[in-house]
Amino acid sequence: MHPGIYQCVMEWVPEGARVLDLGTGDGAFLERLVRARHIVAEGVEKNPELVARCIERGLVVHQGNIMEGLDQYGDQTFDYVTLLGTFQELISPVEIVREAFRVGRRVIIAYSNFAHFRVRLQIMLRGRTPVTPSLPQPWYRTTNLHFLSTLDFREFCRTIGVSETRHACFNSRGAVVFLPNLFAEEVVALLESAR
Amino acid sequence: MKDPPASMLQGDLQDQKIAGYHSPLGVTRTQTVTFRGVQVQSGFTFDQVDVAYQTLGTLSPRRDNAILVCHALSGTAHVAGLHPNTGRPGWWDFHVGPGKAIDTDKFFVVCSNVLGGCDGTTGPLSPCPETGKPYGMDFPPLTVRDMVEVQAKLMEHLGLSQLFTVIGGSMGGMQALSWAVHFPERVRVCVPIATCVSHNAMQIAFNEIGRRAIMTDPNWNGGNYTPDRRPNHGLAVARMVGHVTYLSEYAMARKFGRALQPPVNAADAEAALFAVESYLHHQGESFVSRFDPNSYLCLTKALDQFDLFEGKPPEEVLRRVKARFLAISFASDWLYPPAQSRELVRLLKRARVAATYINLETLYGHDSFLIQNPEFAKVLGHYLENEYGSGHRKDAAAAA
Repeated sequence: MHPGIYQCVMEWVPEGARVLDLGTGDGAFLERLVRARHIVAEGVEKNPELVARCIERGLVVHQGNIMEGLDQYGDQTFDYVTLLGTFQELISPVEIVREAFRVGRRVIIAYSNFAHFRVRLQIMLRGRTPVTPSLPQPWYRTTNLHFLSTLDFREFCRTIGVSETRHACFNSRGAVVFLPNLFAEEVVALLESAR
Repeated sequence: MKDPPASMLQGDLQDQKIAGYHSPLGVTRTQTVTFRGVQVQSGFTFDQVDVAYQTLGTLSPRRDNAILVCHALSGTAHVAGLHPNTGRPGWWDFHVGPGKAIDTDKFFVVCSNVLGGCDGTTGPLSPCPETGKPYGMDFPPLTVRDMVEVQAKLMEHLGLSQLFTVIGGSMGGMQALSWAVHFPERVRVCVPIATCVSHNAMQIAFNEIGRRAIMTDPNWNGGNYTPDRRPNHGLAVARMVGHVTYLSEYAMARKFGRALQPPVNAADAEAALFAVESYLHHQGESFVSRFDPNSYLCLTKALDQFDLFEGKPPEEVLRRVKARFLAISFASDWLYPPAQSRELVRLLKRARVAATYINLETLYGHDSFLIQNPEFAKVLGHYLENEYGSGHRKDAAAAA
């Protein structure tokens, strides 16, 4: 995950907000967010060893997969629901984003851009499934299920009736402003319900 | 899954001797306090209730470090340290003591035998004041809430207006949950382990097998048995069935497999028992020597009747909860399966209670919280330490 993405989330989440972090890992980032922004946070993580690490850090954490995790909460319990690093691995992104909007008012999603020029070149010139710094695993080992670009993501948002109010794009050199669908490797977006 | 350490195979500390066992607490003693005029939910009033309890560690000057440990069905007040008469370690000595998950260097630990029990607290074996004979079947039906109300009297007696934590597994977990619901102002942290908000049909079924075994014993005599003619066989069978439900297929396969226990008389090869048979016989016999059959009926009935919400909507009941929760379940526990803990956590979260949940992959079934269990100890120790520390920080901020 590009450090710029964490920086964006730090800036976008206001002081004192209620945040649910899905796929919280060992809780390192959520702990930083709690300390820096004095938020009230909960995490969801399926790996018990990582859940134990979150407990060591003093985080409120729920062991379960993302859908089970979301199902635990009542409507509009959180100001923000964050999904930073697993979006392209989710089996049913539509249902999860809908559930995230049931539980929270805003949703922050990070994803990898599969239309980066290096990916395009590998497919076109080498005729091989791409392996790049942001897609480091070969096809038989990758955990990614869905392959999307920034344009695809915007269309996805329109389809499910949510609007992207902020976004930021990154590659190994830093922030990307010019032709992000071609030059961005990782993207983070702040979504609000269009309702 | 990596192979767990062999020490886990030792099992729990309740009905066996572990050679060379050392408890850093040394010998620990149990005390008794008497309360007068105690009414229970059924309407019955006890003239007198004795409560056996143990305290470990030191109460802080701010009186904010008390942990109430609630024991499970067959547990006692003797939670940790060595028993002055038998020399045996307390049932949770693996996890309670200096530097352990429930650290007696930091926390003041209280554990009392439950009302209806048979280890010093008033129960069916205690003399009824009118007849001078044991209550037996005249002992009133109890609820988990009755047990908790008596614990609350003990806390008042000890001058503890607030508990830092109430913790327990199985029946102890039900007590911990009842504390958080019925005494919301007095509990800062609640740790229910391998427990549920009410028994399902399978849990009731296993308890009923145990009860039937006791009540069909030739010595049962309508519950008015005498010390020399007790329904011991029935109680032993009840314990054997219970014990199987506390283990897992994996634990039994690893611990016993199909190994044979050599017969006492070597010529009598026909008498060879499977190791698991011999083990269960031992568990049954050992239990009979320390447990009262009527107490077993009384407590298992209370468990089966337990309903945390007492028929009210869960959200209404849980909305008054003030404690923060750590719920722990074990993936291999088929008696109190993880789904029951998840249901509890879901109801807590829907009522906006801060609840952490972990389903540990310990392979030893329901007993996983009673055995040496490093993952469990680590999670519990860190959680208590963090919650105690953050409480201090908040108090300091409020004072500033």
